[in-house]
Amino acid sequence: MRTTVAEDKDYRGKVHQLSRDIMTDWMTELKDATKSPTPSAYMMISGNCVEILRCFDILPVFPEVNALQLAIRKQSLPYIIKSEEIGYASDNCAYVKADVGYTMCGGVGENGNIPVPDFIVCNFVGCNVYIKWFEHCASMFDVPMIMLDIPFVREDGPSTDDVKYVMTQLKELIAHCEKLTGKKFDIDRLREVLGYSARAERGWSRCKELCKRKPTPFDAYFDSINMMGPINALRGSKVAADFFDQVVEQYEGMVSDGMGVLEDERFRIVFEGPPPYPYYRNFRNLFEAWGAVAVQSTYSTVGGTWEFGFTHDPERPLESIAEQMIIHNLCNRSMIERYAQIQSYVDEYDADALVIHSIKSCRLFSAGQGDMREYFTKDRGVPTLMVESDLEDPRYYAEAQMKNRIDAFFEALTYKRIRGKATA
Amino acid sequence: MKYAAGIDVGSTQSKAVLIDLARAVVARTLIDTGANVKRAGQRALDNLLKESGIPREQVGFVIGTGYGRYKIEAGDDQVTEISCHARGAQMLFPATRTVIDMGGQDTKAIKVGPDGDVVDFSMNDKCAAGTGRFLAGAADVLGLTLDEIGEISLTGTKPIRLTSVCTVFVESDILSHLAQKQKVEDILAGVHQAIASRTISLVRRVGREEEVTFTGGVARNIGMVRALEEKLDVSVNVSPDSQFTGAIGAALYAMDRVLAGDAEAAAVSDEDTVWVDE
Repeated sequence: MRTTVAEDKDYRGKVHQLSRDIMTDWMTELKDATKSPTPSAYMMISGNCVEILRCFDILPVFPEVNALQLAIRKQSLPYIIKSEEIGYASDNCAYVKADVGYTMCGGVGENGNIPVPDFIVCNFVGCNVYIKWFEHCASMFDVPMIMLDIPFVREDGPSTDDVKYVMTQLKELIAHCEKLTGKKFDIDRLREVLGYSARAERGWSRCKELCKRKPTPFDAYFDSINMMGPINALRGSKVAADFFDQVVEQYEGMVSDGMGVLEDERFRIVFEGPPPYPYYRNFRNLFEAWGAVAVQSTYSTVGGTWEFGFTHDPERPLESIAEQMIIHNLCNRSMIERYAQIQSYVDEYDADALVIHSIKSCRLFSAGQGDMREYFTKDRGVPTLMVESDLEDPRYYAEAQMKNRIDAFFEALTYKRIRGKATA
Repeated sequence: MKYAAGIDVGSTQSKAVLIDLARAVVARTLIDTGANVKRAGQRALDNLLKESGIPREQVGFVIGTGYGRYKIEAGDDQVTEISCHARGAQMLFPATRTVIDMGGQDTKAIKVGPDGDVVDFSMNDKCAAGTGRFLAGAADVLGLTLDEIGEISLTGTKPIRLTSVCTVFVESDILSHLAQKQKVEDILAGVHQAIASRTISLVRRVGREEEVTFTGGVARNIGMVRALEEKLDVSVNVSPDSQFTGAIGAALYAMDRVLAGDAEAAAVSDEDTVWVDE
């Protein structure tokens, strides 16, 4: 059986480079803004309304992105420890701790890489820990915080009143932006921004759709990260829309040439949960060693579940923003809807298995994953592996244990396949 | 090429087994792993060959398993101990459908198919509570050996409910119960029940199916066998070779490879599968 770790492969392709270029430009903008009067605001990734900020030329800052960049560069631990020193618990969200520690160490402000925000938009979608995070940030910077209350949808879908409720809050946010920037709200400008959003969202969906092909042209978990920055942080910009046009061209080209991300695609998997960013490449290699590639992932839809057909609508500007925040993103979905999303991925992308990477410091989304594993294994007959570490805190990642579980899982799938062939 | 070998380099002990073409165990050896994992694998194989008197060239394939499996230079390939325990348990007890493997650092519940294949598995995560290490901690603080505590636990009449099931804290927990004049046998009965409870929740995750086979070093502990049987309400299979189950499974996988050229074993040919040497 093939169980040794794949060689440290260079995963960088054209899409990675394109993504890096535009994300670096944005990071440069952020750094420049530390020393200029450019207005900026903190915002969350999940189900965000970045289009409103963009319409006022307010620079969006995403503390989650700051945190994950520290993690992927293997720099997160000292900042996590810094936060623990002031009282954050060891099992508290490590994104929060890395960001707060980074701020305390001067990462935000004139001598850092991130501008002090003029205000904070807490677009509470699904995660109530984030409210405390953003309250702490507002307190550290002594800036106003605008709290958006997004109803959690437990029934079939949001009611008309739910949508109106969120639209009313968006109008309050707009009024605040007008006051801060001295600019009058321009609905046509918002429509233009939403047009860029919709173009990027269609490109995103097209890319994801291509993963139904065999072999899949990119890994819909590990490589989707390259598209998540542009779709979540840069959405509503022409740059992001153009990026997705190029990405679609790239992946369609690969599909028409019969090229896959792996030379030998042996297992098609669906991923649930964020990756362990501090060991991103190690983790990926553990799957690639088995010829396992993700054909879909739920994590890539934290910002929006575009591939199910929804796009922002310039003809219904505030209404479509509200709808996206309430229902068309993973974080505000109920467990039952998450199950349905995964099942549709398994069926439509012809997946062999589900892999759940559970996050130790995120009890909110990890809670219920044990049941999820049981549901897919026992009720749906989908082989499911559950492994655990953390998205930000390197202390939770134990390579030997991780590898043991992954190897055993694929050994079992391999054996099952052999027996299937032998009895066919 | 009449033989195949399996080497299981575990966290505390390394085991090696030699089987013949009829898949019968012809030799077994057990050594302490020590600090040098690489040497442990080689030493185990050397011992095995020495004790059996079979020359190395008669061994067609060697598979390593256990946490040290990637360090075994003497091995031709590696298979996880999860797959190996399933396969080994099924050979020892052919009707096995659930395997409980309790070793030095890991406890696993494995659901096994009729052919010894892994259907599902569940393991303790990031914590050695509920494993052999937990028993070792308890034995240490009571001044007893691992071989004694199982028997003694069976004489307990009022099992103490331990406030902590942490491997590190168990020692101070036991000390406090000793200070309260609790009986050693009752404390040990509590220790065994605490581990059994944690293990049963792993078994429930994969779904218990009879027969249940208990493998790994801790299976030699009669107190643990009884505690599991009580919680599961079913008798569990324990082989005198329980410690060697992983190595037996590895040897069986190795024998598949020896036979891979035969018509019978065509299903595991390199062409059809990912059974390729790196």
